Amino acid sequence: MSLIRWNPTRELTGWTNDLFNMQREINRVFDNFFRGGVLADESFGLSYWTPAVDITELDNEYVVKVELPGVSKDDVKITLESNILTIRGEKKQEKEAKEGNYHRIERSYGSFQRSFTLPTTVKNDKIDAVYKDGILTITLPKAEEAKPKQIEVKVK
Amino acid sequence: MGNNNAALTRSGSRALMRQPELREVVVTPVADVYETSEAFIVKLDMPGVDRDQISVSVEPGRLFVKGVMAAQHQVPANMIFREIGTRSYVREFNLGDGIRRDQIQAVFEDGVLTITLPKTDEVKARHISIK
Repeated sequence: MSLIRWNPTRELTGWTNDLFNMQREINRVFDNFFRGGVLADESFGLSYWTPAVDITELDNEYVVKVELPGVSKDDVKITLESNILTIRGEKKQEKEAKEGNYHRIERSYGSFQRSFTLPTTVKNDKIDAVYKDGILTITLPKAEEAKPKQIEVKVK
Repeated sequence: MGNNNAALTRSGSRALMRQPELREVVVTPVADVYETSEAFIVKLDMPGVDRDQISVSVEPGRLFVKGVMAAQHQVPANMIFREIGTRSYVREFNLGDGIRRDQIQAVFEDGVLTITLPKTDEVKARHISIK
């Protein structure tokens, strides 16, 4: 999946936002259905889901936020290969939950993966990731040549 | 005067449109509910919320959960991908009888709120020994 620029006009008014949310919800239902989310069963290895992501570009870095509630940080792997950032992992069901008698299951379990193509080069050795309150924040500093350059114009 | 007012309204609404984050987005957090021999357990996904911003309240027959994400007052102009944003989580559950309301516990860890509602002795499964 490549990066799609966020279009702020989509959120200008209440009803367009609602419409956008509705479209997203419909997409989610279809995505889940065709990827086996609805019929997901751990024993078939089909169970997977897609975490929500925010990506912000700053002058010196990219900040990627991934929603991973209830995922242990040891179960997450982040890789960067020729400008493709991949976040993958697995959300495991708690042991005591497996033994319980279920009334309702809405939360997603199983494997997840998301990949993004970054538009500019990144310092591979300076990538930082922090996991707090269910959100994984990855900071990717841009390489020197990718930073916006400011040229000073002298006024005589 | 009338013209001035119109100008104010216009610029006012434009300022609001530029900051969509200021509108409160309320979502229903997804939840798992299960039952063990001792308790009912509710798990809610509420990523991005600070623990201090979560409130759990119990009224007769009702469990009410709310969490508010710390507002970012400005949308960064160079947001490339946006699916999370800022939002509040609100959800209500009906509670049946047979719950010890004074012993309800809530724990927030890794973006998941776990509420444990212990059962009263009357509703726990009883093993009857056969003589």
